[in-house]
Amino acid sequence: MKSAAAVPAKKPGDSKFQLFLREVWKNRMVYTLVLPGLVWLILFAYLPMGGLSLAFKDFKFREGILGSPWVGLDNFTYVFRDPAFLDAVWRTLAINIGKLIVQFPFPIILALLLNELRMRRFKKSLQTIFTFPNFLSWIVVSGVVINVLAYDGLVNSLIKLLGGTGINFLGSEKMFVPMIYLTDIWKSAGWGAIIYLAAISGIDTDQYEAAQIDGATRLQQMFKVTLPNIMPTITIMFILSVGGLMSSGFDQIFNLANAATKNVSEVLDVYIYRITFQSSTDFSFSSAVSLFRSIVNMILLLLADRAAKLMGGDGLFR
Amino acid sequence: MSKNPKKPKLGSQKMTAMDYVIFVILSLGALAILLPFWNVVMISFSTQKEYADNPLMLFPKNPTLESYQRLFSEGMIGSGYLNTLKILLIGLPLSMFLTTSMGYGLSRNKFPGKKLIFMLVLFTMIFNGGIVPLYLVMQNLNLTGNIMSVILAGSFSAFNLILMSNYFNGLPESLMESARIDGAGEWKILLKVVLPLSAPIIATITLFYGVAFWNGWYEAMVFLRKAEQMPLQNVLRSIIMEADVNAANASSMAAGKQSFSMGMKMAAVFITMVPIMCFFPLLQKHFAKGVLTGAIKT
Repeated sequence: MKSAAAVPAKKPGDSKFQLFLREVWKNRMVYTLVLPGLVWLILFAYLPMGGLSLAFKDFKFREGILGSPWVGLDNFTYVFRDPAFLDAVWRTLAINIGKLIVQFPFPIILALLLNELRMRRFKKSLQTIFTFPNFLSWIVVSGVVINVLAYDGLVNSLIKLLGGTGINFLGSEKMFVPMIYLTDIWKSAGWGAIIYLAAISGIDTDQYEAAQIDGATRLQQMFKVTLPNIMPTITIMFILSVGGLMSSGFDQIFNLANAATKNVSEVLDVYIYRITFQSSTDFSFSSAVSLFRSIVNMILLLLADRAAKLMGGDGLFR
Repeated sequence: MSKNPKKPKLGSQKMTAMDYVIFVILSLGALAILLPFWNVVMISFSTQKEYADNPLMLFPKNPTLESYQRLFSEGMIGSGYLNTLKILLIGLPLSMFLTTSMGYGLSRNKFPGKKLIFMLVLFTMIFNGGIVPLYLVMQNLNLTGNIMSVILAGSFSAFNLILMSNYFNGLPESLMESARIDGAGEWKILLKVVLPLSAPIIATITLFYGVAFWNGWYEAMVFLRKAEQMPLQNVLRSIIMEADVNAANASSMAAGKQSFSMGMKMAAVFITMVPIMCFFPLLQKHFAKGVLTGAIKT
């Protein structure tokens, strides 16, 4: 292994293939580094992707994935005839587009406020507090939420104390989506603010000085200097969340839904779970839905990435 | 960008009305996050009667460990803890091994196939088969019902790999070159040269995998069947859900000897989040730094 680096780069008469082999041999140690991860990728990422071929087959347990007969697009015809599937798709889009509109400004506002806060110490502890819930699972948060938003819980007690009437946050179809937005802001706005704070810290201080000399108030500086400077970051974050329109929110919705809200909470991933593991199992049908979901996700992500690059940003990849 | 000797000192100015408004808004926000946690903890230490009288309570008058005693004697929380520890104990070293070795491999200079392998990694970030075919693969590997299925499914993340690889890329190549001249192989360079220089990114990625393993539940719910195999999060989930059912039944019964289900739920919630609470401040500065360097280098 020690002599690997000493292999001469080129000998006259070597074919391209021999050169290639020599390069491979020279880097054999590197391949051993990459191999374990590659094996994982093949087993648990690419083999399952191959398993999606079930979407075009009529899966029979006895014959296995490879042996089952091909049926073309039959499964997809069934999928698109299932009203529950179509409902789940639209519901997913509706909830996530609403999320995008309602929740998106919160991390930005939080970052702007934190940036304006003059007490350094306090700022640090605030950041710790705001980012903490992001690291808890939605199961833990749902435990907190069923306590705090319960009919006789913390929030309703406060509302009643102030003379209002209690709100049934958890068990009503009407409140379900607002409750989803509220709890998601609670959990993840602080984490989302970090990227904006990083962008703010990169702003040239000259701009603030110039604004001060011109007599700009701090509020004006916030809107005329800080905000325009982080606009590229805002655009990219927005575009990237468009890429998640079909996929985000499963953990949250699955853990906050209950019997009373099952009519408004079945998003696409919940639907996939139900048809695969709860009702009669038809892996071909589930695979067809999964494939549909994965392809839509991919298209959304690629469009988002392209859009981010067009806006002059970095995009998702590179 | 011109170089300023010093940032304009904002702190030396007087506090204005705007400062107070910001202070108040942010404090209220922090309170909105802290108060629910405080409430959870206090309810877990209180009695049924006290909770019924005043769910707003800031301090229970007669703190009790009843809920915790019942939680540990009745529930599966103990086995849940053990299963999650098992997952962490096997999963963390495995995931760090996969991520550091591949991350270092991909940060090396050009070698045949590097681009292809990189594309294979990236592609998993935009396209994945989802849970159904993964379940079938686990079934074919005879891993369903085995905790290894949960560990394996969570032991690699393309995102973490790229963060790691980017960090390695930023290390000075001359260090590795001189080790190579001294006759060290790539694995040895990774262990002896690269890893000692990479404390922040290793702390970051360990935190990411650790939190993901600690918080994971979906794979376990799908791949595992027996209740005694379930990790902590799944146990917590069943406590929250089950107690819901009990509460519904209990309301039709004479409200006398029924157990305090909210207390037990909150005790379980607290028990599940304590480790995150302990580790979080310690690792917070590391991960902020690691994420930023990783992101900027991309």
